[in-house]
Amino acid sequence: MTRLILSLLVVLAFVTLPFWMSDPYILGLLILAGIFIIAAISLNLLLGYTGQLSLGHVAFFGIGAYTSALLSRGFDVDLGLGLTLDVAPKPVWLSFLAGILMAALFGWFVGRLAFRVRGAYFVILTVSFAQVMRLIALNWVDLTEGPMAINNIPSFTLWLPGLGVTTLTTKAQNYWLVLAVAVIAFVLVAHIVRSRVGRALIALRENEGLARSVGIQVTHYLVLSTVVAAGIAGASGGLYTHYVRIVDPDVFMFIYTVTMIIMVVTGGKGTLTGPIVGGLLFGLMPELLRDYAGPEVQWIIYGAAIVLIVFFLPNGIVPAAARIWQRLAALGLRLVPEHLRPRLS
Amino acid sequence: MNGVMLGSTYALLGIGLTLVFGIMRIVNFTHGEFYALGAYMAYLFVAQLGVNFFAAILLATAIGMIVGAALEFFILRRLKTTDIDSVMLLMIGLWIAMQNTEQLIWGGVAKLIPSPFAQQPLVFGPVSVSPLKVFVLVTAIVLLIAFHLLINHTRLGLAMRSTFQDRDVASLMGVNVGTIYMATFALGSGLAAVAGALLGPIFLVSPTMGDLASLKAFAIVILGGLGSTVGATIGGFVLALVEEFGSGYVSADFRDAFSFLVIVAVLILRPQGLFAPKERVG
Amino acid sequence: MQKLRWATAAVAAVLTASAAQAQETIKIGMTQPLTGPVAASGNYVANGAKIAVDVINANGGVLGKKLELILEDNKSNPKEAVNAVEKLILRDKVPLLIGAWSSTYTLAIMPKLIEYKVPLIVETSSSGKITTSGNPWVFRISPTSEMEAKAFLAKYDSFQPSIKKIDFLSVNNDWGRGSAEEFSKYLKTKGVEIGSVQFMTPDATDLSAQLTAIKQSGGDTLFITTGVEQMTLALKQAAELKLPQRIITTGGSFPDQLIANPGPKEMSSYHLLFFSPWFPDKAKYPDIAKVYVDEWTKRKLEFPGLTEGFRGYDAVLTAVEAIKIAGKAEPEALREALWKTRLPAVNGDIAFIKEGPAGAESGQNQPNIYIVLLNQGKVTMPLP
Repeated sequence: MTRLILSLLVVLAFVTLPFWMSDPYILGLLILAGIFIIAAISLNLLLGYTGQLSLGHVAFFGIGAYTSALLSRGFDVDLGLGLTLDVAPKPVWLSFLAGILMAALFGWFVGRLAFRVRGAYFVILTVSFAQVMRLIALNWVDLTEGPMAINNIPSFTLWLPGLGVTTLTTKAQNYWLVLAVAVIAFVLVAHIVRSRVGRALIALRENEGLARSVGIQVTHYLVLSTVVAAGIAGASGGLYTHYVRIVDPDVFMFIYTVTMIIMVVTGGKGTLTGPIVGGLLFGLMPELLRDYAGPEVQWIIYGAAIVLIVFFLPNGIVPAAARIWQRLAALGLRLVPEHLRPRLS
Repeated sequence: MNGVMLGSTYALLGIGLTLVFGIMRIVNFTHGEFYALGAYMAYLFVAQLGVNFFAAILLATAIGMIVGAALEFFILRRLKTTDIDSVMLLMIGLWIAMQNTEQLIWGGVAKLIPSPFAQQPLVFGPVSVSPLKVFVLVTAIVLLIAFHLLINHTRLGLAMRSTFQDRDVASLMGVNVGTIYMATFALGSGLAAVAGALLGPIFLVSPTMGDLASLKAFAIVILGGLGSTVGATIGGFVLALVEEFGSGYVSADFRDAFSFLVIVAVLILRPQGLFAPKERVG
Repeated sequence: MQKLRWATAAVAAVLTASAAQAQETIKIGMTQPLTGPVAASGNYVANGAKIAVDVINANGGVLGKKLELILEDNKSNPKEAVNAVEKLILRDKVPLLIGAWSSTYTLAIMPKLIEYKVPLIVETSSSGKITTSGNPWVFRISPTSEMEAKAFLAKYDSFQPSIKKIDFLSVNNDWGRGSAEEFSKYLKTKGVEIGSVQFMTPDATDLSAQLTAIKQSGGDTLFITTGVEQMTLALKQAAELKLPQRIITTGGSFPDQLIANPGPKEMSSYHLLFFSPWFPDKAKYPDIAKVYVDEWTKRKLEFPGLTEGFRGYDAVLTAVEAIKIAGKAEPEALREALWKTRLPAVNGDIAFIKEGPAGAESGQNQPNIYIVLLNQGKVTMPLP
């Protein structure tokens, strides 16, 4: 019960944040951090719950970004043999959904292909997939404009009750949009993790042989979670593309995958709130450091913070905090006279 | 010729990475930074302190090994976790910190290491090649042979191989696993550093040079099969030749794509890599 | 949650503190890649800007106030470029921006200019999209590849033996591709034939495959367009392969490492620069160029960095001139003032002409070019 109240309070605090923290700079930071937190939430489903490390996760982010950007701007592409595909500009929300679908489709494809292998090979296959995607974005100039980048991408538009289709222009509106997608992603992942699928995934992470022997369809569940994770990452790419409003092959940069991994593992992989805590910490820290150190030193501090977290909190921040919380709670209980203690069920 | 020269240094890089992964189960993101460290040390000694070129390469390698050993002793050994993802994250943190320390010390401007070799290329009929490249090739081949002798014909090599096979059994048989880990990480880092010190004078030295080296090293290790040093050696040459011929005959734009396409093909056809026996799949 | 609150409270405290102490200066914001793969050039440009601010302040500042440069790293990454300019505009309240080196970073921050109504002086980026996409807050002092090609054409006749068939080795990005396209277009008007056009990824170090293809093309002149590091590698490797072509590099970078470490004796190359630090006398305004060169050397910065550092220097001079014309440091006033700004600078005259869709034009300057020859570590200016 207290858990529910606490989580409602947290959600309420985030929802009302633009009212008590109206500084657009901070909202801007939270929007960009939030976009990467959404991607980190999706990575956590794979890394934390299936134990499969996708080092090419940025591929799905980039596919979502490019699909949404291209559809919202419209494009024509020469398919060879005298065929051209001419697509008129679509509404942004529709392009955004198409981006999610496209990313999920690639997730299915990569999942089918990649789960023939496991562990380290899965890692490398996903890295290679992201590299191939980057090279396609770079060299298929006819479609993606290659390194010349697609710019002037429209801002997000949304159908709102009572207002019709509106363009989201203010920081607060964009913040709420990112928050809404983040909440949906969080609830979706939480739902999967707590369902039969989630239990199967965890069984699989712990002992694949055993899971197989009790009749869990390993590949089926792995592919399913890859599809969901890819779709969510695609959504985060779509948000990115309509917020930053330019997309170029740099969206496939390896450092973006690294950012997501840092968020997931420092927060605590395999915990639902881990990516959020890690994401807020490592999304905001670089900005807070700007005033206090030279550019290289900022990065050195960033790297050192990661090292220290692994050193002292090897399971991540959330599990460590949970342990401290439990100890405090136990301590608190001991101070309360026995007949007043609540019964632990 | 160029492909073979690159291949020999790629092989050194790949062996270092596969050794650390195979024996210690660490996805070593700092590998490229040891490559950069080797190159920067060579620059420091040759260009800034005026040390003899060949001595500088030796010193750079030694420093790479010492820093690697120190990293193992002061950080990796003391970790409370063996979880592969957490250790990988630690290596990511170190990678970021090391790369930016290099920039802090030497700045972002790329440096050139002067070499004592004649600048005039040697010409053999239609082929011309610089003496420096010949030196790099010969050194790298000598090191590759030395490394395989070390692994297959010394007590240290035997202890490393047995730790690789089964850490617990090796420990029971009296192998000091801690020492082997330190030796492994030092050796892996030293191999990356020597590759950096050798390629540094051919290319340029810059803080981000390690990123591409890491990427190539990962590709080589996959090609050869994780944990297989013979595989990494052959993988290094295969990658360099694929790049060279792929870009020579098809299109140079897609040069880096070839390596990845080859990897994807290898993984689909033979997931355990080209040269590793099946049970080594990690 | 508690944690977040503390963090936001801390940020808010910093904000109020920095807003309170900032009255006596006129601020200009700058974002450059100070870390990451293209950090070298970003730092050169940033140094040029810092020097210009010192020079201005030593001469009494502007409008009776000191000039203050606030520099933020964009970490060689478009997402961080957005963060950097939001910090500059929203927290530091700068009325004018300079940046952001690469075309990608510049394009990423352009929507923010419209959102917050702040003008931007573009000092390096060459992509045509920057001035043609209808953003009235953009003023570019750096040349597009087209301008460079056009300016080169004027010097075409000075090359002996004359240029008949050309090849290209370009970095595979908007700049490299744009440059190859524009130089082909303009040189074709002189009846020049196009041979082999090769691209390379920005991080490629071994270029032997591309160079071998170029060697076999039978051209007489090779144009190389890429950053300074890859340019150095390309020149070294071309000499090793004994490439027969005359080499001309474009884009304004100079392979400084080859001065101390010259290659084989036949190795020589022409470099198209926007400022030639060896010959400040040949600049259009030698006095201005000399001040810049002297201050740079006084700070013991790397000499060849001068070829790129002038971009930051000229951008600050332009900003100061606009502030003087506007009489105040407010974004809208500065935007209008930039249209009237005419000044002598290190590269030559700076003035903006209109480009892009009517009603939302961006400003573009027509810069000068200089061609130097590098041979055995010696730099000369052989062309008239």
